[in-house]
Amino acid sequence: MGTFDYLMHGFETALTWYNILFAFVGVLIGTAVGVLPGIGPMSGVALLIPVTASITGGLPPEQAATSAIILLAGVYYGAMYGGSTTSILLNTPGESSSVVTTLDGYQMAKKGRAGSALSISAIGSFVGGIVTLIAMIALAQPLSTIAIKFGPAEYFSLMLLGLAAVSGLAGKSVTKALIMTVCGLLIGTIGIDNVSGIARFTFDIPWLYQGVEFLTIAVGLFALGEVFKTILEKDEDDGEIAKINNLIPSKEEFKESAGPIARGSILGFFVGILPGAGATLASFFSYLMEKRISKKPGRFGTGAIAGVAGPETANNAASGGAMIPLLTLGIPGSGTTAILMGALMMYNVQPGPLLFEDHPQVAWGLIASMFIGNLMLLILNLPLVKVFAKIIETPKKYLIPIIIAISIFGVYAVQVSTYDLLLLLGCGVLGYFLSKNDYPIAPLVLGLVLGPMIENNMRRALTISDGDYSLFFTRPLSLTFLIVTALWLLIPVLLKKRGKDVVINIEG
Amino acid sequence: MDVKFDRFASAAFLAVGVLFMIGSRKLASSSYGSSVGPDIFPFVLGLVLSLLSIRLFYEAFRGEGQESRQEKLQYKPFIIILLSTLIYILTLETIGYVITTFLFLFVCFQTMERNKWVTSLIISAGFSGIIYFLFVNVLKGTLPGWPIWFS
Repeated sequence: MGTFDYLMHGFETALTWYNILFAFVGVLIGTAVGVLPGIGPMSGVALLIPVTASITGGLPPEQAATSAIILLAGVYYGAMYGGSTTSILLNTPGESSSVVTTLDGYQMAKKGRAGSALSISAIGSFVGGIVTLIAMIALAQPLSTIAIKFGPAEYFSLMLLGLAAVSGLAGKSVTKALIMTVCGLLIGTIGIDNVSGIARFTFDIPWLYQGVEFLTIAVGLFALGEVFKTILEKDEDDGEIAKINNLIPSKEEFKESAGPIARGSILGFFVGILPGAGATLASFFSYLMEKRISKKPGRFGTGAIAGVAGPETANNAASGGAMIPLLTLGIPGSGTTAILMGALMMYNVQPGPLLFEDHPQVAWGLIASMFIGNLMLLILNLPLVKVFAKIIETPKKYLIPIIIAISIFGVYAVQVSTYDLLLLLGCGVLGYFLSKNDYPIAPLVLGLVLGPMIENNMRRALTISDGDYSLFFTRPLSLTFLIVTALWLLIPVLLKKRGKDVVINIEG
Repeated sequence: MDVKFDRFASAAFLAVGVLFMIGSRKLASSSYGSSVGPDIFPFVLGLVLSLLSIRLFYEAFRGEGQESRQEKLQYKPFIIILLSTLIYILTLETIGYVITTFLFLFVCFQTMERNKWVTSLIISAGFSGIIYFLFVNVLKGTLPGWPIWFS
């Protein structure tokens, strides 16, 4: 069967009534998550994993996994659409990938052009999403064919590269990011060892035998951590929401934004594939590029539509691009994709080169649903943007306690244990203090998800070589990955020593 | 950057790293059919964590001049919400989901902002009732619904 047949099967899966519903609910919640400042895509997805797990409980395992991942991915890319709304109307970005949109978007809104800014960013997001999807379809098969030839040694080195990439770009201090990564890896070793069957670091507590649940940690650190932050750092001065009048951009505005949208799609896609980079960096790069090649760079910052179209396209393209290493190599390149991977593994679906062979329904169903989801988002965001803008007015008074209640309900529904709830609360407090002091949380979750896989591959590789560690350095591909890993960690340090500003990823 | 927090954190991380190293020494050093045992990976990680925390301590020590910015933090509502969450968690299994959730939400709503108590009452009752009904009756999930001495 060729790629086309697989894709058609994917559409068959994605077009069943409940999957359409799942995609719709996903993008709807995603847009809301994007609009609401305080909940980012990461905590949104983490919060919804247990909820989807209980909804899909009645379906057969493979279908349940497909439907769940369709919904969760919908939240992820839906948030990219929604994030621009508050940036433009309120000058407060709904999530970090829309920070640059505030520069020109809010200026446009001040001049009464909020409508065109919103619709151009919706159109740009749509184009960016579709372009990456097409690239993803083209790349999925060849990449998996290459990846399938990897041995355990290559996998071990590649995963180290993934971890290093995320730690190297996350937060202000590489040391802190690395500490968080190692903590995640260490937490991953708790429980019964897969290979030898020995209980490690369990102190004879039965609750620890199955290991520390990824879900509890992720919901606690992200969702509860952000909630506590909102409670502690309460700021009352909400700005005034700009009025939306004319939604249809003029011909001139279309002409001006066609170029940025095209460039943003391609740029965003490539930045998205890179592990560790992600949507925030993509939007920054796109803005800088548009400013550099523009004939009138002075107009940027005063309401240039190119400064809205480019970054908004790029962040959506990047969120699609980030799915590629996750689906084909099984290596998440960002916090949100790490959470998506954890969700897939909860359903016993292992992302990676075998995904397209073992679970074509999941892989192609997801890809097809992303087409449908992007179309839904375009329709939702153009005429209904006024309704979504209303979401901003949801009083924090009700929102915050309800988020706590949902996370407690979700974790309890899946784990049915008070210990997990206590761990959840502890992680929430820890998450607040860690992120307040610039300890990035995404690397910890990434380490927790990848830890057991890294260890298994390392031990398999060492078993084959009979305990000889030189194996990792003598196999050419593995050596290449290790060299890139070392460079990735060393170059920012060296650049900082020479006093250069290093772009960092504030995505978390 | 709060230097005090970093110093404290580096000590804590060092302790965690050393404890993991000691703990992994007690594990078997080989498993059946392989010379690579379950102890190597955590031992190396513990070592790396200890080294990194020493580096963090050094960084925090060097950056002593930077004073942390003072923000006004809302400790009172935070403590109340944290405590009520703890009580909520601990009583969930004995008193049941519906009553605890209702009380928890109502207390938190009023802590966030003390007004419109009727709306708060309706929303907390609605949320706990609807979630319980949907999860237990529609999705057939298990949730301790009512106090154990009722059933």
